[in-house]
Amino acid sequence: MTVQPVSFDLLDGLIQWLVVFAGFVATFTVVALATSIPLYGVSGPKRVISGAMRGLTDFVSISPRRVYAIAMLAFKESIRRKALLVFVVFAGLFMFAGWFMEGDAARPELHLTNLVAFVFLAMTWIVLPVVVLLSCWGLPEDIRLRSLHTVVTKPVRRNEIVLGRMLGFSAVGTLIIVLMAAVGYGWILRHVPKDVAMFCRVPVYGSISFLDRNGNPQEQGINVGDIVMTRSFIEGGSKATAIWHFPISHEVDELKIESRFEAFRTWKGNMDRSLRVRFTLVNDEKDLRVPLPAYEVNEFRYNEVLISRHQEITDEQTLKKSEVDLFKDLLVPFDPQNEVHRKLQGDASAGVLTVHAQCLDRGQYIGLSPGDCFLRLTDRSFAVGYIKATVGLWLECLLLVVIAVTASCFVKFPVAFILTSSIGVVGSFAYGFLLEIVSGKQKGGGAAESVYRLITHMNETTPLPENLFTKSIVAFDKPLVEGLGIVRYVIPDLSHYGTSEWLAKGFDVPWNGVLLPAMAVTFAYFLPCLLLGYFSLRLRELEAK
Amino acid sequence: MTTFNSRQRKTTSVVGILILLIPIVLLGMPASGRDSGGGGMLAKLRSEHDLGESDLGQIDPTSATMSFVLLGMRGIAVNMLRMDLDDYKDHKEWARMRATTEAVITLQPHYIEVWRFLAWNLAFNVSAEWDAVPDRYYWVKEGGKFSQRGTQRNATIPELTWETGRVWGQKIGMADEWRYFREYFKNDPDTKTFPNGVDPEINPNQIDNYLVAKEWFQKSNDREDNREQHIMMRALFRSQPMRTQLSYADALQRDVRFITADRFRQESSSDEEAEAKAYAARQANFALSRQEWAEGFTEWTTKFGQEEFQTPGGLIRMEADEDVVHELAERQKDQGATEADLRQWIDHYQKTTNYNYWRTRARAEADESTGTSEAHRLIYEGELKLRSGNPEEARQMLVRGMANFARLLEEYPDLRDEDLTVEEAVWGVLLWSKTLELLGESMPATFPLKATWDKYQGLLPELQERYNRGR
Amino acid sequence: MSEAVIQIRNLSKIYRDFWGRKKVQALNSLSLDVNKGEIFGLLGPNGSGKTTTMKLLLGLLFPTDGEISILGKSASDVSKNEQIGYLPEESYLYRFLNAEETLDFYGRLFDISPAERRERTNALIERVGLQHARRRQLKEYSKGMTRRIGLAQALINNPDLVLLDEPTSGLDPLGTRDMKDMILKLRDEGKTVVMCSHLLADVQDVCDRIAILFNGELKELGTVDELLTEQDETQLLTSKLDAETIDELKAVLAKHNADVRSVTHPRNSLEDLFLKTVRTSQERPGQRYVPSAGDGDSAGGSPEPPAADAESN
Repeated sequence: MTVQPVSFDLLDGLIQWLVVFAGFVATFTVVALATSIPLYGVSGPKRVISGAMRGLTDFVSISPRRVYAIAMLAFKESIRRKALLVFVVFAGLFMFAGWFMEGDAARPELHLTNLVAFVFLAMTWIVLPVVVLLSCWGLPEDIRLRSLHTVVTKPVRRNEIVLGRMLGFSAVGTLIIVLMAAVGYGWILRHVPKDVAMFCRVPVYGSISFLDRNGNPQEQGINVGDIVMTRSFIEGGSKATAIWHFPISHEVDELKIESRFEAFRTWKGNMDRSLRVRFTLVNDEKDLRVPLPAYEVNEFRYNEVLISRHQEITDEQTLKKSEVDLFKDLLVPFDPQNEVHRKLQGDASAGVLTVHAQCLDRGQYIGLSPGDCFLRLTDRSFAVGYIKATVGLWLECLLLVVIAVTASCFVKFPVAFILTSSIGVVGSFAYGFLLEIVSGKQKGGGAAESVYRLITHMNETTPLPENLFTKSIVAFDKPLVEGLGIVRYVIPDLSHYGTSEWLAKGFDVPWNGVLLPAMAVTFAYFLPCLLLGYFSLRLRELEAK
Repeated sequence: MTTFNSRQRKTTSVVGILILLIPIVLLGMPASGRDSGGGGMLAKLRSEHDLGESDLGQIDPTSATMSFVLLGMRGIAVNMLRMDLDDYKDHKEWARMRATTEAVITLQPHYIEVWRFLAWNLAFNVSAEWDAVPDRYYWVKEGGKFSQRGTQRNATIPELTWETGRVWGQKIGMADEWRYFREYFKNDPDTKTFPNGVDPEINPNQIDNYLVAKEWFQKSNDREDNREQHIMMRALFRSQPMRTQLSYADALQRDVRFITADRFRQESSSDEEAEAKAYAARQANFALSRQEWAEGFTEWTTKFGQEEFQTPGGLIRMEADEDVVHELAERQKDQGATEADLRQWIDHYQKTTNYNYWRTRARAEADESTGTSEAHRLIYEGELKLRSGNPEEARQMLVRGMANFARLLEEYPDLRDEDLTVEEAVWGVLLWSKTLELLGESMPATFPLKATWDKYQGLLPELQERYNRGR
Repeated sequence: MSEAVIQIRNLSKIYRDFWGRKKVQALNSLSLDVNKGEIFGLLGPNGSGKTTTMKLLLGLLFPTDGEISILGKSASDVSKNEQIGYLPEESYLYRFLNAEETLDFYGRLFDISPAERRERTNALIERVGLQHARRRQLKEYSKGMTRRIGLAQALINNPDLVLLDEPTSGLDPLGTRDMKDMILKLRDEGKTVVMCSHLLADVQDVCDRIAILFNGELKELGTVDELLTEQDETQLLTSKLDAETIDELKAVLAKHNADVRSVTHPRNSLEDLFLKTVRTSQERPGQRYVPSAGDGDSAGGSPEPPAADAESN
């Protein structure tokens, strides 16, 4: 599998966020107003409004010095509570890790993949739980020991406490991550085989579409029976084609197309060589086709095809040779009306390049996915990619700190910890599953139905028997699933933070597709969480046990 | 009391822990498996003194360390890793799948079925996912090497040596890509890593894959002397080394198809010279094959054939004529063995192990009086001559080959209706008839192998097609 | 002595359990004022509502009913804290900080500039006599040292109003004396001090006025002199007399003309008063002290009758 391009529209996301945020605030206000009347009578709404106004002034009059003091307190607290002891675990892990990370002489580049994956796995599993633990622990413990009393009897706003805690634990997380990343980097350098080039590809992805064996446009190719269909396949020796449109930002002397296709044979064929693929540069408007030399699919590895700016073509009928210029003759100017063009990510100011890929072996198939073929720009250094990947982890850490501190504002430590880690676990591992349940794609129904099926050993695809009991089960599940549908919006999709995946596979971590969304998600959670934490801390009697 | 304050005490403890960790690391590091003598002190000692699992008990240092680190939750960890493994396989994340395989085995170094499954998974499943033959070979090798490591870690288990033998023997020798695999086994395609042409870990002596497999099967038998295996019927299991010898002889015959002039073109000054060299090489191959068949026959009948197996009817031997049956019955009279029972069980075992077929086949192939080997060679060379447009030379060879073949069938009536033999006989006659066609002659009324030819006319359409297809 | 720093009107606090059921009536319609520049003592047995009152003043608890004006602001207004110093019951400080860091931290919370913070930190450490332990973490402090640093942090903002919760608890006689001196010094500096304590001697020694609480109700309120002086009796103090003389004196006193050296009102110890109050409260619950209209009550009318109020809850 290759890393796949991700599309992210910041403006779109921002608008969506504003809508959701405004919705939450509106709901909150309405509920507060509605409940205030039975509680306080006519003066209820007035109290709500004055409370909200006070909240506003509290936010306007935030003092950086106080926030800094609280942040430093949280930081010192963590450090003096021996948070850095995690390094003992970390060091231990790395002492022993070498045992199990045996290099392979024949596939050294895979070794680098494993090393990177291991370092980030270790960092993730050490840093995140520790930071979440600290963040969940801090405030409840502060309340339990009543040391917070002394703080809140100073002119400290509750939002300063929440913000300070968030910043303080973030600082702890940052410190741990920076140190671990440095150790991890050294460890990778020490363990990586000498002959392995360390670099980060900078890809420009295009959009992909297909033609089937008869030349009809298709969304996808064929599935050849893979359990997980990451690639769709096109048939060789037919009209089946994969078509890429690449955005081109500026003119260069040479373009590099890198690809990594999968081969699938329906019969033995010629075993002396791999299946062959040919790229053709196409300009439909000018009816111009420039076939590039065919090459063998070097499976699960990257193949480079260099396209020089000037290409010689031979007219099939007249056999006359002529030269075409990649940029002048082959590129199509970017057309905002064109649906394919609009899907493109990246700068297309120089135009859009169309590349066709076909398999040349009759009856055999090659498999391609959107990320399988890209324009490769000048590589970045491994260190840059490493730092970017670390930033991804760092952003994830910040997000979890924000959530953990917020949770600790209204529940005790164990609950806060379970809540935060559940959000983390679901967000990282089960977000897709969650969506499937909510959208009803997941077979087997909701919780009660699943239990019923488990107990009765009923296959999840078998329809339930029609009776009152099963009906009540389904009725019981319905609100749960619908509730989950709402909760889903609260749970962050942490897959955005899988930055190390790119580095491990030899790619630069893309800014627009990965880091930006990660930042956006972290920030999107920050403000509502700060508000939530502030109000729950303010409305709470700290003394009441 | 003490003059240390709290921080100093703690620092001392941490430093102490780190110092104590150093010997653990030095002692406990697992052997790398790729270069012998690697790994920590314990791993070195273990390999020096040939200590396997049974000698060390459950004290596998690496695994014990891991179990300790996992606080006894090894089962859960392994479960998760196995799920990852499947997931990586489905997503074709080979590097991770390979790394996860290592992690699983580190946690479960003494679960025989885990070793077997993982080795099989690499050699058979993963290799099949790749397109280029060298890639496939690489993964077969990974599977075999993995299994080989299993035999080192579990020094008394016959199953693992058997599994290793299966990969080096059957997988390399019988896969679709066998002609490449067999060649790669002696000359690794990864010339960068193995400049000497061979992967020393699996084939240090640069010999045939079947011979390596045979050694592994022999090791399995040695281990099986002391410890029961649970793969298959004992007689079948015990027959493997000898059976592999026969496969080896057979493979040498198959190889001939790929000994072409192309191979000698570089070292030859002319096409003719290359052709001549190829011809000589093929001849040598057939000769070697004959010798190996002879060796195979001896081993089959004396080693495997003389071994006694316990059956419900009493101890039996494969190589058993009436005298042997009588002697066996006589010897086991006290246990109530009867000649009829023994005969029945001998028959059953012989059928299960295909004993008699291989016995006859090996003897026939090695038989110099019938010239079986020469018959194969002449029919093949005749075919080459025919295809290269020399019908006259072809005819001469084919006639001689057919004569030898006829003698073979005369001498070994058991083979008269045996599929492979019949097919080759009819094929030879068909080729001969083609030379006659080209030379403008018609088939004479009588010719060697006529009886077979007449009897098996049904094979002709298929063989005719093979002829038309070319090689 | 007119300006009221704290005005409490009809303050009630009911602790409820998780289900909202009434658990404890911690404070019942309390009304009192604290004047500028005085040392005001809140007295009462454990559970009488002293600490609750103090926490309500600070906004740590929310009143069930009634109003609080503290330095002219509402108790829930954070900005009032600018002029308040608070020493909690057991110095609830961060045990992993040392004395300097502690004062610096709280100084920051008052948004005090770094130079000022340094100056005040040094001055306060000296004032509470912790120069020798300024770099030690608080977890290594003794109880007395903790109270001192607690007082120091309460004074970091140079407050107008100082709230002290059991300032002398756990201190040895010497420490208690020091603490009392420091409290008196605070008054001399013009600060208003509210302290609560169950240690009567402390209160008697330093307080200008005291309030006695029992079961959440105000039982007595007044200056120490007022409260401890019995107005309906006269006490004679004479030179040593023999029995005859005493007999005579009795006779003479009936007729007059004796050498009377001093004639004063007998004085109770605070302990006597306290015990008496508690005893009366137990015998006749519901009776309580209601400040008269002239008793600094400038904000509202006189409080509701206590019995009715108690029942309304």
